Amino acid sequence: MSEWTAIGALAVIAVLIPLSMMFASWLIRPSVPEQGKRATYESGEIPTGNTYQIRFNIQYYMIALLFVVFDVETIFIIPWTVIFEDAVETVGLVDAFLPMIVFVGTLVIALAWAWRKGAVQWTKSPRAERQRME
Amino acid sequence: MTLPVTVEGYLPFDGAAGEVVAALIAATLVSVIIMANAAVAGPWAKRKITAAFTDRIAVSKIGPMGLGYIIVDSVRLLSKELIVPEGVDRPAWDLAPLVLASSAILGFAVIPMGNGIHLADPEVGLALVFATASIASLGLVMAGYASNNKYSFLGGLRAVAQNLAYEIPLLLVGFSVVLFSGSLQMSEIVAVQSQTLVSLGPVSIPAWFAFLNPFAFLLFMIANLAEVGRNPFDLPEAGQEIVAGFQTEYSSVYFVLLYLGEFIHIFLGGAIIATIFLGGPAGPVLPGFIWFLIKIWALFLFTQWCRSIVPRVRIDQLIQIGWKGLLVLAFANLFVTAGIVGVLAA
Repeated sequence: MSEWTAIGALAVIAVLIPLSMMFASWLIRPSVPEQGKRATYESGEIPTGNTYQIRFNIQYYMIALLFVVFDVETIFIIPWTVIFEDAVETVGLVDAFLPMIVFVGTLVIALAWAWRKGAVQWTKSPRAERQRME
Repeated sequence: MTLPVTVEGYLPFDGAAGEVVAALIAATLVSVIIMANAAVAGPWAKRKITAAFTDRIAVSKIGPMGLGYIIVDSVRLLSKELIVPEGVDRPAWDLAPLVLASSAILGFAVIPMGNGIHLADPEVGLALVFATASIASLGLVMAGYASNNKYSFLGGLRAVAQNLAYEIPLLLVGFSVVLFSGSLQMSEIVAVQSQTLVSLGPVSIPAWFAFLNPFAFLLFMIANLAEVGRNPFDLPEAGQEIVAGFQTEYSSVYFVLLYLGEFIHIFLGGAIIATIFLGGPAGPVLPGFIWFLIKIWALFLFTQWCRSIVPRVRIDQLIQIGWKGLLVLAFANLFVTAGIVGVLAA
């Protein structure tokens, strides 16, 4: 019995459950094709402009960039945690621990640099600052 | 022995067909358990808990203690009209609820629930459960982007920022327990925790990782609250600020699926905590499955408790807590744990 057969089976069931709910709902729900209610919800106001053109804070980009770095790093940490105890017994504490300290240390220095540059801090846009002065 | 193997023993035929049928039957059983928990939690337990915190009675008219609302509300929500707002990005808008609900159910594939209810036990179990749990972020982004609604868009962006900030501490703390167990296999992690930590006369305290490393347990609980998006980290929804965030434009069955996904996600978070910190289904006197239910419901109660009593953090505070606080503490936890384990092993 392969473990992945069971996981695949649950994946199939996990998709079938929402699909069957959608089907059940499609059977019993009413359809009133009136167009007024289809307007985008903007707290009762008439919607203005397009959502896909609104400008948002570049902050989110910096955080995503940092995330990629640390997420890749986590992938390297996972196998290290698995073999760590055995590695200490075979090659000793220093040889098992020191390379990871150097590797993570490099990235922690990078985090400190990003921290100093204000990448992990919420910055206000110059325009918002100006508007506050006025 | 995992559940499909047990089921296969009862089947009149074996071979490849028997394997697939057994796997499907076992997967259905596990899904039924998950769906039953979510059904009790969503329309009933959540309301009752919130009502108890705010000194109200809440659902009480239909059935004993209002339990009939589970059926009544399911029918009510499913029979509502599905309103498709103008300008939605159609395939993505329809897929988002599906992605959220499906990924949350899939996470339970490797969770040991006691009494042999354990669907699969691959060697990469812990990595798999974190991987499937984080697919939900994708669903949130799809829902936020495809709705063509400014509140949804902001909610989707917040969801990304939040999940990115708390995913790394969650993983680092989660994998710090692997230093003790030396394996990603769920059954192995649970087995290591069943050893005795200290004996106090007749009572022996098991070596649950929450007792071995309470600091990691605390960090994981905080990061998990952010991961499931409950107070103080419920910014993606934030009722008072952005209406309902990414789910503003969803109605009818899609609304049900979004909420179903969220509730199963809370239970999945609870199940991960129960497995890697609270000894999985282990416990005295009662059968393992009952203990598993007690643990995930206790952790569900904890999220609802936080939801009722803790104020929401601001988005700038969220980023600072995540990147400056939790991430640094998670690294410290990983290295201090590794140091202790290494010195003990050397």
